[in-house]
Amino acid sequence: MEQIVSGKSQVSALSAISEAFALIIDGKSLAYALEDDMKNIFLELAIGCASVICCRSSPKQKALVTRLVKLGTGKTTLAIGDGANDVGMLQEADIGIGISGVEGMQAVMSSDVAIAQFRYLERLLLVHGHWCYRRISSMICYFFYKNIAFGFTIFLYEAYTSFSAQPAYNDWYLTLFNVFFSSLPVIAMGVFDQDVSARFCLKFPLLYQEGVQNVLFSWRRIVSWMFNGFYSAIIIFFFCSRALEQQAFNDEGKIASKDILGGTMYTCIVWVVNLQMALSISYFTLIQHIVIWGTIAFWYVFQLAYGALPASFSTDAYRVFVEALAPAPSYWFITLFVVIATLTPYFLYSAIQMRFFPMYHEMIQWIRHEGLSDDPLYCEMVRQRSIRPTTVGFTARRAASRRQ
Amino acid sequence: MTDTDRGTQRDRHSAFSLFTQQSLPACKPVLTPEWVIMTFLFIGFIFIPVGLVTLRASHSVVEIVERYDIGCVPEPFRIDKVSYIQDDSIPKNCSLSFKVPKYMKAPIYIYYQLDNYYQNHRRYVKSRSDKQLLHGQNEHGISSCQPVEVNNDRPIIPCGLIAWSLFNDTFTFIRNRAELKVNRKNIAWKSDRGHKFGKNVYPFNFQNGTLIGGGKLNPTIPLSDQEDLIVWMRTSALPSFRKLYGRIEKDLDVDDVVVVHLMNNYNTYSFGGKKKLVLSTTSWLGGKNDFLGLAYVFIGSSSVTIAVVFTLLHLLSPRH
Repeated sequence: MEQIVSGKSQVSALSAISEAFALIIDGKSLAYALEDDMKNIFLELAIGCASVICCRSSPKQKALVTRLVKLGTGKTTLAIGDGANDVGMLQEADIGIGISGVEGMQAVMSSDVAIAQFRYLERLLLVHGHWCYRRISSMICYFFYKNIAFGFTIFLYEAYTSFSAQPAYNDWYLTLFNVFFSSLPVIAMGVFDQDVSARFCLKFPLLYQEGVQNVLFSWRRIVSWMFNGFYSAIIIFFFCSRALEQQAFNDEGKIASKDILGGTMYTCIVWVVNLQMALSISYFTLIQHIVIWGTIAFWYVFQLAYGALPASFSTDAYRVFVEALAPAPSYWFITLFVVIATLTPYFLYSAIQMRFFPMYHEMIQWIRHEGLSDDPLYCEMVRQRSIRPTTVGFTARRAASRRQ
Repeated sequence: MTDTDRGTQRDRHSAFSLFTQQSLPACKPVLTPEWVIMTFLFIGFIFIPVGLVTLRASHSVVEIVERYDIGCVPEPFRIDKVSYIQDDSIPKNCSLSFKVPKYMKAPIYIYYQLDNYYQNHRRYVKSRSDKQLLHGQNEHGISSCQPVEVNNDRPIIPCGLIAWSLFNDTFTFIRNRAELKVNRKNIAWKSDRGHKFGKNVYPFNFQNGTLIGGGKLNPTIPLSDQEDLIVWMRTSALPSFRKLYGRIEKDLDVDDVVVVHLMNNYNTYSFGGKKKLVLSTTSWLGGKNDFLGLAYVFIGSSSVTIAVVFTLLHLLSPRH
């Protein structure tokens, strides 16, 4: 107890000059340190140190230490181990990483992620951890966006049907929106997207802080994407219905009925939602090209195929595309106009952000684009510009390594 | 190098391993200012001419709109228009005349416009039986036509509220004391005439009940030739809509006086609706609507402005 208290006073006395401390404790002492009346002060001491080494500890103690840190600090904990004695610790931590190898497969079987060698941990965290964080946050924001854009047009149309629940689109169009016409691009983004290549993820480890600081999934970002959805729906609905009012829709004097307005709006939504995906990713493989352009093309194919089904099945979508929409120039003009008008604000916003207020991964994209990735001075400058507050261990270690 | 080494080297570049190692060849565009400026200028240079062309098309259309539902009610009945319209003994003919403001080239399309008429209400839209329209009486499934399904235990063809509320005002046009012939054929979409309304289905027991909702149908003409009904049954998108009535195949000169004799049969007075008669030419784009042209020009000029502003900002504030 005295040792812990004196150690703590030492750490707090010298923490102002970022002196790095290490704590070494063995299994026998750990048994006392983990008792209820001592464990909190032990935890405080341990947190103040840059490194803590617990040697000769039993599997139960490993798990208890992990639990202490997890509950005491409230942070996400990661445990890595390769033997059967690490199983308790792996299960206790938020993320357990098992190393498959000499000591058998027990660790692997009870872990969340399995790797083959310890050194792969760096790649796992910095590359895959960063990609995973970015993919999931982008995917969730985009999902809200596309469903809001689609559903809100239906809601706006309801205002014009005296809220009688008459949808603006054909039933099957409604059902298949999330199945065919907007699903594959999101999946492609969630599985394949890379904002920065693996090489750069390793070169700029600070990129990992984007996940720790939760920069890409802040409330501000979520609300902005939702606002984008609302705004897109408003533009699409009002521009389409204002352009397709009572006047003749084509040169034969025919009027735009409900199926024509619905078909035009749906076309606009499919284009907007997919082009928005193309604008928000910065990594285009063959897969992305196929799913984005393919989805848009498939919408036209679907209109043809569904419209060719007998009228008792396709009801008001029967031959709408072939007969009414495609031959009318106003359909194509309206589609082009509404799509560009809807996407221009987002395009402008991302242009301004990229040029004047780039985020850290965007700065790295600039570095790559300008070919300065091998210039050490420049990279150092970029790193310094986005240093975020980190724990004492990091700065202390860097300062120590520089002093050598 | 051993065989296995060469084998792994080959594997490293096979398509499958590129896929699983997430190192597929990729295009990684960066949104540089050059691209942004070029895009906005491109949008501006495409949109402004297109906007001007569409505006010109819209301005070339001549449109005459005449509201007649108030003016056609005789003075003594203006206080209670609903009982006027529902009283069959009062003659409903009415005349109005207007001058043609500009030269109108044939074909001139005649529409009737209804306002505050919710043809897109869900229960109204559902109230039809597509099977019955195509195949006639032998088909089941007319329960969707409730409440206008049977009358005196005999089925109604065509059933449903949409058919029941068929518009039945009629118009004849006179110019210089000679009648202008109105072509009432081919006013419906071809797919409707050919594939949604049967050639062997005849109106039966239609509009025979106590509550008359609209016009009657000639029972000797099959549904596929009843173009008024077909046009009416293609439900409109918004509460204010026009429907095609017919075409005039002659040109109308400027300052021609056209007299319209119309029968004011249809009841829009119970719900505060409006009735208007519209004559309109069309351009290659359609009818008269300046919105598309103006909006194109607006977005185009905004794009050019944004491009200029962005260029200035980019040049004035260096990136480092």
